Amino acid sequence: MRFARTVAFAATLPLAAIAGAQACGEGLGGGKRIVENSHYIVVYATTPAAIEINRHFVVDFAVCPRGGARPPQSVRIDANMPEHRHGMNYRPGVTVLRSGTYRAEGLLFHMPGRWDLTFDVVAGNATQRLSSTMRVE
Amino acid sequence: MSGLPLRLLVAAAVACVVLGATAQPPAVVTFSPEELRRVLSLGPWPPPRRFDASNRVSGNAAAIAFGERLFRDTSLSGNGAIACATCHQPTRAFIDGLPRARGIAIADRNTTTLANVGGQRWYGWDGANDSLWAQSLRPITDAREMNSDFARVAARVRDDPELAARYRAAFSAAPDADDERLAVDAAKALAAYQETLVTGRTPFDDFRDALARGDMVAAARYPLLAQRGVAIFVGSGNCTFCHSGPRLSNGEFHDIGIGFFVEPGRVDPGRHEGIRKLKANRHNLLGAWNDDPARAAPTSTRFVALEHRNFGEFKVPSLRNVARTAPYMHDGSLATLRQVVRHYSQLDEDRLHADGERILKPLGLDQYDVDALVAFLESLSEPAVPAPAR
Repeated sequence: MRFARTVAFAATLPLAAIAGAQACGEGLGGGKRIVENSHYIVVYATTPAAIEINRHFVVDFAVCPRGGARPPQSVRIDANMPEHRHGMNYRPGVTVLRSGTYRAEGLLFHMPGRWDLTFDVVAGNATQRLSSTMRVE
Repeated sequence: MSGLPLRLLVAAAVACVVLGATAQPPAVVTFSPEELRRVLSLGPWPPPRRFDASNRVSGNAAAIAFGERLFRDTSLSGNGAIACATCHQPTRAFIDGLPRARGIAIADRNTTTLANVGGQRWYGWDGANDSLWAQSLRPITDAREMNSDFARVAARVRDDPELAARYRAAFSAAPDADDERLAVDAAKALAAYQETLVTGRTPFDDFRDALARGDMVAAARYPLLAQRGVAIFVGSGNCTFCHSGPRLSNGEFHDIGIGFFVEPGRVDPGRHEGIRKLKANRHNLLGAWNDDPARAAPTSTRFVALEHRNFGEFKVPSLRNVARTAPYMHDGSLATLRQVVRHYSQLDEDRLHADGERILKPLGLDQYDVDALVAFLESLSEPAVPAPAR
């Protein structure tokens, strides 16, 4: 499998800031965030909206192809602490809410600090990774 | 790390309104806003009482009394001489004071205190259980601890008139004919009792609450040396990365460079084996023994991941009452709090996993800072032995 590490650090913005992205992620809850690269837009919202240390949270997210990219065949979500060089102690499960929209359960940030939330979008032999950085205290 | 810079910051910080212009202001260490937020996150204490939905007798007074009775009952063990209270001694903060637990034989790990044991995500040094009642079954059936079995426990409850009456009072039914079901119920009563073991307030809690309400006069009653320890704990020491929240533990698992050889040629795999046992355990929260019809609790059990780095990881212990629970670490290898602080001060990075935590660095504390951290840790302990909160 070809793994194209098109990582979109620092591209995480409130949805309202991205012109044309409003249609992606319609129906998700409030506090939506967006991360994008040249192939995909990912719009996501967490429950609870403010992630608390040491408490499980849910991520609802939509993946929207752009620029002729293929629709995703599967998606994965994970998170890691680059400064600590480790990830979560939990492997989230992803279910399809509706076409192009997913729910990830089982995430838990067990330490404070910088976390990179990663979305792997698999289409054909390629995987696009989009990453959203956040600090959780 | 030198203690000098922060000592120079010992302030003059406040309370002029209260004291008047000529009075000496109280001495309170100056915390940055981030450090202050971390200090406040270590309370308040005690936390609100929560009941365990997976245990239908959680909070039930009759079950608590039944559980306390069972806790002291040596006849549950294979040799008739070991009770839960043999290792978890109520007059010793629910530990035995030994490096490694001694039941019928010597076990591999240190006895953990049962104070504040309710409401945790994982139980045991390896987190092999996800409920207090399942954890309560483990030592009963462990060959080196109580070396018993479901049949013995069930027979004891069924055949002893007093225990049978206590069972009926707690569960509103006659003792079950099925050995396993009755043993699990006995464990649930034991859990109901242990949930009541909550430590009291400590000098640190008074300091933390004084800071929360901006009462620097009250905060200044907390010894300055301990305040310096707090500053290291939430600041340069980064201790709150793992020792977080009012329990001062994130309830998860880390490798901190303590050796995991139990004896030459035999290792304690810690969390790695704990996850494997958890997944294989018919009494985990995913199974039919969970009394919560909504199955709301087991998110952690569903999604916990087995990783190579889990090898040699052990649970982060709570620091509540820590001065009363020596010796320390999963193998009881450190006899005093001072040795624990020196362990982190002189951490041997070569003993850490290559794929483990990268932020663990030797703290390089000077003598004053060691004294300060020890003073802070001692202030997390209540003055008297905890009494069960009913």
